[in-house]
Amino acid sequence: MKKQRKFLVGGITVAGLVGYLMFTGMQDSMVYYHTPAELVQKVAVDPSYREVAVKVGGRVMPGSVHFDNRTLDLRFTILDIATGKARFPVHYQGPLPDTFEQGRDVVVTGRLDDQGVFQATSLLTKCGSRYEAGAEAYES
Amino acid sequence: MTQIGEVALWVALALSLWGVGSAFLGGRQRRGDLVLSAERTVLAVFSLLVVTAGAIIWAFLHNEFQYEYVAGHSNRELATFYKVAGLWGGQTGSLVFWATLLALFGSIAVLQNRKRNREFMPYVAGTILFVLAFFLVVIVFASNPFKMLPFIPADGRGLNPQLQNYWMTIHPPTLYLGFTCFTIPFAFGVAALVTGRLDTRWITTTRKWTLLAWFFLTCGILFGMRWAYEELGWGGYWFWDPVENASLLPWLTGTAFLHSVMIQEKRGMLKQWNIFLILGTFLLSIFATFLTRSGLIESVHAFAENTTIAYIFLGFLAVVTLICAALVWWRRDRLQPESQVESWLSREAAFLGNNLVFVGAMFATLWGTTFPLISEGIFKQKINVGPPFYNRVNVPLGLILLFLLGVGPIIAWRRATPRNLKRNFLLPLAVGTVVGVALWASGIRHVEALLTFALGAFTMTTVVVEFWKGTRARAAIEGEGRARALVSLVRRNRRRYGGYIVHAGLVVTFMGFAGKAYDVEKQIALKPGESVDVQSPFGTSYHLQYEAMSWYDATNMTKLVASMRVERNHEPLGIMTAELRSYRQRQETNHEVGIRTEWDQDLYLILAGVDDPNGVIQGTDPRPMATFRVLINPLVSWIWVGGLLMAIGTLIALWPTVAVEPKVRTVPVRVPEPELVEV
Repeated sequence: MKKQRKFLVGGITVAGLVGYLMFTGMQDSMVYYHTPAELVQKVAVDPSYREVAVKVGGRVMPGSVHFDNRTLDLRFTILDIATGKARFPVHYQGPLPDTFEQGRDVVVTGRLDDQGVFQATSLLTKCGSRYEAGAEAYES
Repeated sequence: MTQIGEVALWVALALSLWGVGSAFLGGRQRRGDLVLSAERTVLAVFSLLVVTAGAIIWAFLHNEFQYEYVAGHSNRELATFYKVAGLWGGQTGSLVFWATLLALFGSIAVLQNRKRNREFMPYVAGTILFVLAFFLVVIVFASNPFKMLPFIPADGRGLNPQLQNYWMTIHPPTLYLGFTCFTIPFAFGVAALVTGRLDTRWITTTRKWTLLAWFFLTCGILFGMRWAYEELGWGGYWFWDPVENASLLPWLTGTAFLHSVMIQEKRGMLKQWNIFLILGTFLLSIFATFLTRSGLIESVHAFAENTTIAYIFLGFLAVVTLICAALVWWRRDRLQPESQVESWLSREAAFLGNNLVFVGAMFATLWGTTFPLISEGIFKQKINVGPPFYNRVNVPLGLILLFLLGVGPIIAWRRATPRNLKRNFLLPLAVGTVVGVALWASGIRHVEALLTFALGAFTMTTVVVEFWKGTRARAAIEGEGRARALVSLVRRNRRRYGGYIVHAGLVVTFMGFAGKAYDVEKQIALKPGESVDVQSPFGTSYHLQYEAMSWYDATNMTKLVASMRVERNHEPLGIMTAELRSYRQRQETNHEVGIRTEWDQDLYLILAGVDDPNGVIQGTDPRPMATFRVLINPLVSWIWVGGLLMAIGTLIALWPTVAVEPKVRTVPVRVPEPELVEV
């Protein structure tokens, strides 16, 4: 085993370094991912959960979108994709993402404030259904 | 016409399955007829896939919307260029495209090596056909491009506007060229394991393939960054998005492989490691294809949510990993190193360090990318990690690499003496220190940026010194002029000096990344005639005055165009425009940003919102208020310049060496042709 010693020492050193960086990096940037229903339930059980930044994946409720072109304030209501219930308002400030639209699935990152409004710091639009639309898209 | 494509697909599947069997059986029983048949199968599958790909393009060009794939990715108004690109615009088409490229490379590899590497060929052909068969199964059964709609729509849904950009038309194919190209060295690695011929032959044979794969992958990643920068309209080029990460993973292991094989060639070490690296690179290429296409992980551009495909891909990855692990275990005796690392101050150690860091970065990036899945599996709770995680891990690792980049190529083999170290590293260390101190004195306090420049200067100096020394020596020995000596120096040692140019390019790119630390962003709502001032970190001041809003009707969209009059340090630069486009077919809007590139910074203009877009179009409100985002992105152009250098360096290393040395007379050896057998 003596032959491979330098290989092992080097490997362990780098693994240790990478492990340490990963560990501290995880602490900095771990974000829970919830559906709107899960978040509402979590907050109901433990109000301090409002303080935690989370990611929420849901659907933009049709007819709920308000975008101020001047201040770039975007407000809409987010729905649970599975049940269509468990909604709460979302506020985001910034240019409208290119593929944002009513009824689109989105992922927002941020936290629920005391008024029950989700203050989003980032907004991602999922484009999956768009790229690979099924037949139903033509029927309307 | 299009139906021929589907027939070809089925025949290709049947043939490739036959080929896998005949290749491995022929190799085992030493039956030349079976092996020849397998080799020809690779060529046949390629021809059939060309027919399939051609049929898909035909369907696009002829607006055959009865096909679900065509209807979902094209419409009548779409430019011809993008119709052709529709082949790789969506999941099913791009899988066909992947397989076609693999069959093309496989065919070239077979033609190139069928005489030279007879003993490897059965298993090389067999491995390539195995991978092809897998892709064909996925295409035929889970993602058929010829699937019909129950009715014929009058028009298609059009191509996603974000994909209607020239970078996007070349970015996926380039990446795919890289991914598929890595299959060739992998196939030779498998062949070396199966035949037990584990000297450097499989490595030297595939050296150019590895370089070619690396070339395409590097270009593909850079094209993707350029696309994101121009098209996504966020002012950034890399978001640590799962799909971006996916393309980076094989790049990291591929780059490690490119370096570690040199250690095996020179010193007979790292044999097992090299096999694992090429296996890992191949698996990660497949993983990258799969991640892009499965939508298993949230991403800005996860293109599909097809879980059947996810399971097929994961199964394939597992099977290949198991087979290869078993092969390595079986051949473990022949994979013992012939020598060992003697000192930490040696080229072997530097290369080993480089490899471990690359693999470490790969592992961390893979961990972050798949963590939502891992955490869901273990804690029943999806947890994401964001860009801070990747930066936290990869920035320090990148800095270590930047340092090793300067050390590795010039430190002595085996054991560096103090004299050797002093002679090689005194000047580069001095230059690096001076640059670091000078930047500190000029007020730069961003540690990572400072280190990037100091280490970059260190590495750049080693490269320049190498060129200088080589040129001087050559000029003295051959009596050539300096310029001529430089050219012939590079020509005679393409691999080495091409590599140095790649290193220089990477340093420049890293410096471009460091510019990110000094980004400036300003958001403001303006009425026509009003203006905004933005101060760049380099002291330049930009003055932007909102002049007018106009609108245009194009074939498939309506554009709103804001024009800004731009001044730099009170000198007029001209007009800059930014657009908001509404695509009719898909009811989507798209920001077209304005970019003004200077050597040291980019002025980046986003039209974020228009107060009364309908008023502009109807003429009731021709001068609306608009909201702009103005960004100054320092050193972004360095990334592209560095990328260009990397590409040029790789091409130099790749260029076929013309025989400059006096020719050694060779006696041709006749290899008896295997008997032809009808398949």
